[in-house]
Amino acid sequence: MAIEYQKGNAFLHRLDARTKLLLFVGMTVLAIVVADPILMGLLFAALYFIGTRSVDRKLLNSNLRILIVIFLTFSLFQIIFFTFEDSYFLFYLIPFKNWIPVTVQGLIRGLAVFFRFFSVVLAVHLMLYTTPPVELALTITKRERSRRVSSELAATLILGLILFVVAHLTRAEEIQVLPFSHPIRTLLVLLASFVSAYGIQKIAGHGLPPEMGMALTLGFATVGLLSKQTEIITDAQKARGYDVKPKNLIRRIQVLTALLLPIFIATLERSQDISVAILSRGFDYNIDARTYRRQLKFQAWDYVVLGTLVLLLFGSLYLNYLQLGNPTEQIILNLLER
Amino acid sequence: MEYDIKFEDVSFRYTGAEKDVLRGINIKVSPGEIVLVTGPAGSGKTTFCSCINGLIPHYHEGELTGQVIVRSYDTRRARIGGLASLVGMVFQDPESQLVTSSVIDEVAFGPENLGVPRAEIYQRVTEALSATRLLGYEDREPHNLSGGEQQACAIAATYSMHPEIYVMDEPLANLDPAGRLQVLQVLIDVAKQRQKTLIIVEHSLEEVLPLVDRVLVINEGQIIRDGTVEEVLAAGDIPRIFTRPAIVRLADKFGLDLKTFSADKFYTDLNARKPLGMLDHADEPSPASANSSRPIIEFQNVHYTYKGQVAALKGVNLTIHEGELVAILGRNGSGKTTLARHIIGLLQPALGRVIVAGRDVAVTPTHELTQEIGFCFQNPNHQIVAFKVRDEMTFGLKAHNIDPAEFDQRVHRALDLVDMLDVIDAEIFDLGKGQKQRLALASVLTLNPKILVIDEPTTGQDPQMTKEIFDVIKHLNDLGTTVLMITHRVDYAAAYAHRAVVMKRGEVAFDGPVWELISNPEIMRANALELPDITKLALQLNKHGVPPWTIKYEQLEHYLQQLVG
Repeated sequence: MAIEYQKGNAFLHRLDARTKLLLFVGMTVLAIVVADPILMGLLFAALYFIGTRSVDRKLLNSNLRILIVIFLTFSLFQIIFFTFEDSYFLFYLIPFKNWIPVTVQGLIRGLAVFFRFFSVVLAVHLMLYTTPPVELALTITKRERSRRVSSELAATLILGLILFVVAHLTRAEEIQVLPFSHPIRTLLVLLASFVSAYGIQKIAGHGLPPEMGMALTLGFATVGLLSKQTEIITDAQKARGYDVKPKNLIRRIQVLTALLLPIFIATLERSQDISVAILSRGFDYNIDARTYRRQLKFQAWDYVVLGTLVLLLFGSLYLNYLQLGNPTEQIILNLLER
Repeated sequence: MEYDIKFEDVSFRYTGAEKDVLRGINIKVSPGEIVLVTGPAGSGKTTFCSCINGLIPHYHEGELTGQVIVRSYDTRRARIGGLASLVGMVFQDPESQLVTSSVIDEVAFGPENLGVPRAEIYQRVTEALSATRLLGYEDREPHNLSGGEQQACAIAATYSMHPEIYVMDEPLANLDPAGRLQVLQVLIDVAKQRQKTLIIVEHSLEEVLPLVDRVLVINEGQIIRDGTVEEVLAAGDIPRIFTRPAIVRLADKFGLDLKTFSADKFYTDLNARKPLGMLDHADEPSPASANSSRPIIEFQNVHYTYKGQVAALKGVNLTIHEGELVAILGRNGSGKTTLARHIIGLLQPALGRVIVAGRDVAVTPTHELTQEIGFCFQNPNHQIVAFKVRDEMTFGLKAHNIDPAEFDQRVHRALDLVDMLDVIDAEIFDLGKGQKQRLALASVLTLNPKILVIDEPTTGQDPQMTKEIFDVIKHLNDLGTTVLMITHRVDYAAAYAHRAVVMKRGEVAFDGPVWELISNPEIMRANALELPDITKLALQLNKHGVPPWTIKYEQLEHYLQQLVG
């Protein structure tokens, strides 16, 4: 089942393509950072709630449902193989042989893993459902010959501050042992954050060369056409007397190869057509100075979404910093030990 | 004198080809001129166009001699992209030149490439869409548009680049009558409004001649005629290469102005010269067919609906008898193809029954039905499965487990029928489009089908090839094959078929002899069927006793001679 762009004008549709890409990246990072099943479940629920506002719930569910079994298997692995030395033992999965112990920690983390995977997958789905592929391709394409200094500085500043906070939340002890006095230590970390932020934004801002970006864009536009063509070709072959689904396996392979040739030719022809068409419309006029009609522009909501993501990231890192990253586990263990 | 386009002794040969496609072309086109380029398929018209926008020599590889100058640029030294800002090119196949996923992206694509500022792009897009009557189509997907809309979109995409020169390579060829009308209207607007140079390649002279200033006739890579419309028409026909429209030929014959392109003008002028008399004897219409024979295809109250769409067939009742040659006509989307697909079970009726050669298609697999039914699709590329002509021909035979001893005889017979025995050892990639179409037909004929179903056999073919294909179909019918052909060509249908079936919104709107159809202007108009010029004139002459179903040139000429006396 292909995840195709669903036309619409809902909340997610109106967000900038870059925001949705970052939303996906952010959810992935959060899924790594957050280990608690209830927190992760809440994140998932929030994302799902936003999603159903923008995409048909049935469509979303039908696509997610298929994955439940797969992710449950992942969770099961987690439950089975995640056994600390001092974890709280519950029972053996295969009783009389005393094989495969199941622990409280294992169960809780298994549940968390289930939500972690689902959140990432849901973020991908929502991104693809609500963003025209063309715009996604555009986000990763280099669209200007040179970027403005002000936008580079702003990106470096914001990213640098985020990195600075993250460094303090995750690597507090390492920073403590640096052989400098306190203000210099902080300054040093700040400097390192800005240097890496500058590097990252430079690399991220570079993007694909416009030729490749355009190739990607045009490729997306061809997918629908090719699947239509495959259907036409299959029909044409049926009409020529091929049993398209013979019972004999060898015949079936022969039929398949017979289908491949016209599809191959059709694809080749299509690529020829495209090159002739785009050349005739000035594709190689001066590709670096090309205008892009579609304009990517952050609106208020984009900042809200991105800000929320950053806050969530800081929050969950702070919980981990305070050793409170697993509240559910701790509460249950406390209850059990009492 | 300044020229927009100048060819100086230009010859071109594609890499690996044995012959030059263009040979010693010398022409000059002035700014604002509208030039029609015509000639048989494979005569080098497309190559000529590709020279103007620099695809030759920069994209298509080969050997170019001589000089092509566009404005002040030598195409050999210019980039295609640079020339694209001067020369707007529109190709024959509308679908193949649309590359993006929405109409607005498509129209904006050219100006984007040229680096036009964003605000101006929007302005140009609106302007181009309104000129091509596509406003409101911005967010539609190009490949879901009708052929006419697609071609209009392709023209809009060129228009928005503001070229000085338009080159249109058979822009009407792949369209149905309604689409042709739409695109032709756009063409006229573009040509007249803008005072730009327009080079248009076309076969359908009737529609384009009234618009142009100058005509070039190309054959085998050479310009064999070049002059004003009047000069070229006065020089007469060239067999198999250049046939003037029927009305022009009649005008020539009866000494009227050569630029008589419409039946109205012909009649008024002829009558003004000397009032016409009455015809005392006219031929009877030819009978529909000797259809006393057995029914071979029966549609019994057939309904069909595509998923999530309006009903495509709504209670079709139709009986085709053995040995008939039936033309199926109607607008795009009227259900013609859906009807044909039921015959070999590619679709199965939701309600009702389809019986073909005594078998119910609902319970017979398609590959069994195809033993008796040959089915040809519109685009031959979709059914070709091999690299060599011979392999292609034997493929169906193998699929049906025919005795290999018979292969040679069957292949030879089928290729002979379509007059392609000489290419039996050729590679399919080397064949032209017309040849591929005939090959597709021949590969179906190897199985000696009792019934032949053909979907638009003449899309994009020149008049000579169209006639040849219809001749083959007629010949097969004479040999006893029942033929069902979907076509837009009313003139050919009328000249070849016995019976016409007109589909309208999933229902049979007309079923009867072809002569009855063409003498019924209401049904013709209601189904966007264009009357052949001869018949239009015959209708005008009806009050003088000329039967309105007259379709053959010779026949009308004969009547006219009597009337003029």
